[in-house]
Amino acid sequence: MGLMTRLRAMGVCAVLATGLVWPAARAALAPWAALKGKTVLLVTGGADSPEPNDDARVARHLRELGFVVRRVDASAPASDAVGASLIVLSSTADAHELGDKYAQAAVPIFTWNTYDYPNLGLTGAVLHRDYEVIDPVQHYADSFAVLYAYGANITSEISRAVGLEPQLFGTLYLEPQTAGWGRPGPGGTVIADFFGSRTHAAVFTYERDATLADGSVAPARRVAFYLGNDDFHLLTAVHGPAAMSAHLRSWAIGRKLFDAALRWAASPPPPVPAYDPAALDAKIRRFAQGRKVLFVERVHGGEGHRSDAAMVAHLRGLGFTVTVADQMDPQSRARGMNLVILSGTCSKWKLANKYDDVRVPLLSLEGLLSDSLHFTGRVRYRDYGEHGELLESDDPPENYLDIVGAWSPMAAGLKPGLVKFTHHPGVLKWAWPLPDATVIATLPGEPREDAIFGYPKGARMAGGFIAPARRALLPLDNPTFDDLTPQGKALFDAVLLWTLGG
Amino acid sequence: MSKVRRGATGNRRGAVLAGLAALTGVLSASASTSPVQVLQRVAVGGTGQVRALAAGPDAKHVYAAVGEEIRSFDDRGRAASNVKLSGVVTGLAAGAGDTLYAVVKAPARLVILGVRPLHVVTSVALHAGAPSGVLFDSIANQLFVASRAGHSVTRLEPRTGKRLGVARMPGMLAQMAANGRGTLYVANSARDSLDVVSADKMALSGEIPLPGCRAPSGLAMDPMGRRLFVGCGNGHALIVDADLGFTFLKLPIQQSDALQLAFAFHPLGPSGWKGGTFIAGGEELDAIRMYAFVHYANGGKLALPGTVSALALSPPAGELWLAIAPAADAGGELLVLRRSDKGGAQ
Repeated sequence: MGLMTRLRAMGVCAVLATGLVWPAARAALAPWAALKGKTVLLVTGGADSPEPNDDARVARHLRELGFVVRRVDASAPASDAVGASLIVLSSTADAHELGDKYAQAAVPIFTWNTYDYPNLGLTGAVLHRDYEVIDPVQHYADSFAVLYAYGANITSEISRAVGLEPQLFGTLYLEPQTAGWGRPGPGGTVIADFFGSRTHAAVFTYERDATLADGSVAPARRVAFYLGNDDFHLLTAVHGPAAMSAHLRSWAIGRKLFDAALRWAASPPPPVPAYDPAALDAKIRRFAQGRKVLFVERVHGGEGHRSDAAMVAHLRGLGFTVTVADQMDPQSRARGMNLVILSGTCSKWKLANKYDDVRVPLLSLEGLLSDSLHFTGRVRYRDYGEHGELLESDDPPENYLDIVGAWSPMAAGLKPGLVKFTHHPGVLKWAWPLPDATVIATLPGEPREDAIFGYPKGARMAGGFIAPARRALLPLDNPTFDDLTPQGKALFDAVLLWTLGG
Repeated sequence: MSKVRRGATGNRRGAVLAGLAALTGVLSASASTSPVQVLQRVAVGGTGQVRALAAGPDAKHVYAAVGEEIRSFDDRGRAASNVKLSGVVTGLAAGAGDTLYAVVKAPARLVILGVRPLHVVTSVALHAGAPSGVLFDSIANQLFVASRAGHSVTRLEPRTGKRLGVARMPGMLAQMAANGRGTLYVANSARDSLDVVSADKMALSGEIPLPGCRAPSGLAMDPMGRRLFVGCGNGHALIVDADLGFTFLKLPIQQSDALQLAFAFHPLGPSGWKGGTFIAGGEELDAIRMYAFVHYANGGKLALPGTVSALALSPPAGELWLAIAPAADAGGELLVLRRSDKGGAQ
């Protein structure tokens, strides 16, 4: 049995074992007590480590958290990870020495070795564009700037554990420091960023089975953190009377963020549902009972009317009580509803700004509404756009999607990679959501053009808008529903179910 | 009457006591890594131990608590005057103007003295246990007396000694420091932390953990930079951001369970270090040099002829005074230290 096979098998076993301990259907941070005694492989530069460094402090901290720490240097074989529950990669390890030896390890990885990010597939390979290390020698001014970061995501488990808010916080204590950033792919989740830019992620993660920046699939959880060689002890924290200040508690969160991210990495990931349209159908039928849907369309709209009718029939067939509203009807039609669906037949111009703040879940089938619904920024064709619309798009028609969030129930159990969404190429809309969104699928070859994504309740959306309930985008242009492949239909149902809270 | 000794590196007038050549050699050799050097050695006399030292605000006198006496020394190390109190003096602190505070162990009392000439102004009973130390916060004009045995800190009115409040604190209380803005910090050796006391309410307002620090006993504060300097029993000095309670630097120092710290800007005179902290308690003197509010480093080390029992820093005089506890073969003495070439202008 090859090493990677053993590592993968070990990961599977670990998941099975931990699944017995944490049977919860959705992922949650494991309690520290449950992580006690787990082995961490701490990979450092060993004798070749730059000085000063905080590796000893990190090792001590890991032990204090209850982990059993096994230290190896960068030249150690990947087989040393066998039996470990978590691999921690210090920046003191030479990234060239590390290479990609841990890239396929089915063991979670927590790393602050920024130069190794591309080797792990966490970012692209171009220095300064995809990743960078800021240090006081090469980038003196910026080394002050990295003392601050922004909370980019406020709804991830890590964010909730820390109480991360969409505001500035102190990363490291007060001296110019070394810190790294990376630009993850669409399958990643940016937790915190430098300079207010999600392309300069200070902390980012990949869920198991998420698609990495290099197109490969994460065999286990991955966490990238902004630390440098010797600044672990400078991760911010507050004690004494100052800790009574909510402002300071939400400011000095560096150490808490480190611990929460570490804990997330070591916690078991959620089970990934298998692709099973029949099971999905049964589940959504159970969920539909007693639930009311407002379907907003351009009534008697011509081109998409048949498709809208088919969707309404599908929803009614599942058991939903469906009310059809015209795009010109007032938003008050949503009162008493459990879900609002905005059809692609709606005119953005006629719909105006309705339904953006509706307090029930909302599923938009029209990507061009993404700015008015706060899904993304305000610049058409930069923040949102479309493929295949005659005279309105430079991009050709498309009928495939690239699944990058296979781990999410919104992905209907479809494997990562290309999936045939509709039988025939046509119009597909996209948007580039904020870090609080979970991206399920992008247009092929376009990592910034996200076709399917969802915001959880409480998520920070564009312009600081907080999602009053779940929000999702699934691009179905006017006549598309009738053209969905079975996989496309499964995505429709899965996104519908997730949006409703299932 | 104390005798005046002079170290080999000294250039002051006075008699050099015989039999100290070997000891002087040690001091001279060690001084090469230290910002200070011993200029003068003053025999305390008898078996009396100096339990506390305080530098007078006039930069011309230093006061030493020896048994039940308070003795004053002029800037040449000569004994100037003395006052006998009703019990063993365990703490001294210079107050505003010509005021000096002393605390007496038993019966527990605060004694307020005038220093021109040295005399007792008034004395008040303390009721929260035998006092172990006294601190005057000259910025906030607040006076505190700690009692290790009574697990308490008492705040008193500086002019009259009237009790204003008592904070009860479990653990082993050691050196105190104040920030000049109404907050008192107390090293708690038993809890490996700093207790934070609101002076207004004389109530504990928090606790600052000291990572990696065992048995902290020494404490000093830079109220301008808002830094706390902590001397730990396990051979570390920590520098803590007092605003955040965050330890951002750990430096190696001597190991001792009875450390005393003193911080000052330009501690060795106006042309010397920008800021510095001196740490004593064992048979060594450690120094931490301040380059900036976020930049500190070990500033040198000096071997001493015995165990330090008290320390006082007089920046205006550019002097550091150390009390060496009497040993089986030697009486107690005071060391007067001044800047060496390592503590020179920056």
